[in-house]
Amino acid sequence: MNEKPTMSAAQLGMSKFTRRQFLKYSGASAAASSVLSLDDVASAAITRPLPLGTPILVVVTLYGGNDGLNTVIPYQDPTYYTARPGLNYKAETLLPLSDGFALNPAMTGIKGLWDEKKVAIVRGVGYPDPDRSHFSSMAIWQSGSPGTHLNTGWLGRWLDTQAIDPMTSISLGSVLPPLLVGAKNSGSALPLGGLVIPSGVFAKACDRLSKPSQADSKLMAAAALSMRNLFSVSGTITPVLSQPAPMSDDLPTVSGGNAGGDSNLTQQLNVVGKLIAAGAPTKVWSVSLGGFDTHANEANAQAALLGTVSTSITKFLSQMKASGRSKDITVLVYSEFGRRVKANGSDGTDHGTSGPVFLIGDRVNGGFYGDQPSLTKLIDGDLAVTTDFRDIYSTVLENVLLTPAEKVMGKWKGRVKAVKTV
Amino acid sequence: MDLKRLEVSRLFNRFAFGPRPGEFTAALKAGPESLKSSLLNPPAIDSGAPSEPIFSDLGPRPAPNSPEVIQFSQNLRAQTKELSAWWLDQMVLTQKPLQEKMVWFWHGHWATSIGKVNYPLPMMKQNQTFRKYALGNFKDMSQAMLLDGALQIWLDGNENTLKAPNENLAREVMELFVLGVNRYTEKDVKELARALTGYQAVRSTGVVTLNPKRRDVNSVSILGKTGVLTGPEAISHLVDQPDCPLFLAERIWYRFVSSSNPLPAGHPMIGALAGREISQGVTALLNSGDLSRPEHSIVKSPVEWFVGVCKALNLTPSKLDSFTKLNGYLDKMAQIPFSPPNVGGWPADEAWLSSASAQFRIAFAAWLVKDADLSQIEALPPEKRIAYLADLLAIAEWTPRTTFALREVRANLPRLVSLAICSPEYVVSQ
Repeated sequence: MNEKPTMSAAQLGMSKFTRRQFLKYSGASAAASSVLSLDDVASAAITRPLPLGTPILVVVTLYGGNDGLNTVIPYQDPTYYTARPGLNYKAETLLPLSDGFALNPAMTGIKGLWDEKKVAIVRGVGYPDPDRSHFSSMAIWQSGSPGTHLNTGWLGRWLDTQAIDPMTSISLGSVLPPLLVGAKNSGSALPLGGLVIPSGVFAKACDRLSKPSQADSKLMAAAALSMRNLFSVSGTITPVLSQPAPMSDDLPTVSGGNAGGDSNLTQQLNVVGKLIAAGAPTKVWSVSLGGFDTHANEANAQAALLGTVSTSITKFLSQMKASGRSKDITVLVYSEFGRRVKANGSDGTDHGTSGPVFLIGDRVNGGFYGDQPSLTKLIDGDLAVTTDFRDIYSTVLENVLLTPAEKVMGKWKGRVKAVKTV
Repeated sequence: MDLKRLEVSRLFNRFAFGPRPGEFTAALKAGPESLKSSLLNPPAIDSGAPSEPIFSDLGPRPAPNSPEVIQFSQNLRAQTKELSAWWLDQMVLTQKPLQEKMVWFWHGHWATSIGKVNYPLPMMKQNQTFRKYALGNFKDMSQAMLLDGALQIWLDGNENTLKAPNENLAREVMELFVLGVNRYTEKDVKELARALTGYQAVRSTGVVTLNPKRRDVNSVSILGKTGVLTGPEAISHLVDQPDCPLFLAERIWYRFVSSSNPLPAGHPMIGALAGREISQGVTALLNSGDLSRPEHSIVKSPVEWFVGVCKALNLTPSKLDSFTKLNGYLDKMAQIPFSPPNVGGWPADEAWLSSASAQFRIAFAAWLVKDADLSQIEALPPEKRIAYLADLLAIAEWTPRTTFALREVRANLPRLVSLAICSPEYVVSQ
């Protein structure tokens, strides 16, 4: 009896979720729909695509603190050049917008969208009493609550206003950002690459194991829920991902790589695009790019990152045209803070305060919003905050997600007129 | 819930990477005090530990497309793999599990990633420093970390000079390593950056030297102290702040007791850390009674989960059928040792409970169980297997839901064990 029991993944009932199975789950074969007790969940997810015309929000988080002054560049302000002798862009290399501002030369795609009036740039965005810690500041941006510490994200609280559905909001990558954590509901995480979900007898066993139990602590209940959610999410998206693009990092993260975020934004947005086109019933997507913590030798690293942001968003939106959903999509791009006006001498910049936020899409009223903070009238050596990010969140909640902002942001009055009202 | 069982379960799961077969039952019989004592007083010689790898200095990276670069890359990959496999083996095999759990804690505290450092040699040296001071004096540890090559490279220490101060290291020393956020001013960060100027680390070896030409020897003013401060003096001054023991207590609480409930005011750990002796703080925590309070559950991180499974099932990570596969699973679950996602260290609690990680955990579990010797469980009559698994895995209590789910598969051993290690009761330290 000492024979070592062995069992392959297939024997355990794990198998690649193939396109054929997908078709079975979607109701093409009545016999197949009884294979799993979870068939109903999977097929419901596939048979209730998001109605065309439903607004979709795609949030792009730039981790590390993007240098706003080398993104939307005040190239006619002499202080810009004197403050950054080794780290400025010559006017002739830039992509001019208007009012004395230009985009970083790497952002040609977004410049094209700007010319089509699809890009709103909100200048000087931040919050009162800026925190220069990556983690505190990102927590403040994601919770949407400066001053009062909240354990929920602003989009997590929005999820709390929605019916329970693990597909309403999906984050690319295997770790869920606090942004999508609500008090009752949370978004789902979706890693890149092929998915393998249990099937057959083992799936039934997992199903039993994932049922709620009164004896569960809060965390155990969350563990059980994550397993329940697995089947509905993976059932919907696996067929679309059956041939995933090879995983490749957009960039090296030699400088500026220690403040979080993923490295493959192009691939994340490619997957999001495919899933939106397939009709995934998802209203909010979260993607990210890390590497913006450019304390040293910033210029090339940041330009490469901004080039990735610009190209991947442009490609994503153009990919959406064929799906008929391009006019439903609004992209929000933000980072946890901007950087110092003065370069630090290792041709990088240290942590600063306010920075620009981008809103991109057909529903956007293109142009500038918010006042540009002065480069000379600094507050504690840093740029002033001229627009509170809660103005933007409230606007996005009302005009994109069609939800009363008060349910998420409380009685916050400010708005930016950057998104068309429906 | 049986509170004594809960405490023993937590002592194993949180302070020892879980029990080996038989250890839980024995400890339950001897009582929690006896277990605490054996955790705090391990054998002097770690007879279980695998031998440490010795890495040669690979030198600077050869030019792209040169003939040397291929061999260099192969060596770098081989060393990286050896480093990772060795540490995972060490976690599983050590006879000093509390010390190793503290090494893991410090790795997440002074979180440094090989993704930017590139070379395994400096990462290995950092890991040895963590082990040397794991339960030692925090001031000594902080001084050693100031001269740690991997940390200096990670936080741009080479760029922090008299002419061009770079705040990266100084800020994280204050915020994440010694004091905690908002316990200093922005001015303190800038001044500390100046006091820490001049260190230069060799990337391939992690050797740190002080270059006087790059050093700012002007007077600085940091948290009430003004004068010309050397790097070590500045670090000592920070560690001497009363916020330092408070911060250490908070971090230990966050990783060992609860990531969602805050450290209670006046917790005995804070006072016990007055001399900055880490072992005193940990002892105070073990004796505080918090480990038998049911409200403090915590999610095991993927590596903690994996190491616990290996210990329970007598698996050695480097001997699994494919190290590439093992690394792939850890990567999918978003936790590869030596590669924390950022300087803030690993996430906690719900962040590990996405539907994606549930999926990878199930596949990972099936893969691990297929290599395990399950003859002990097989020898038991089916009706005794679920209770046996509770002791094997140091589960405080199975819920009726899980008992039912396990009972349905108890005749099929691989399925039974896979399910047990994916259960909410095992994924979470109750």
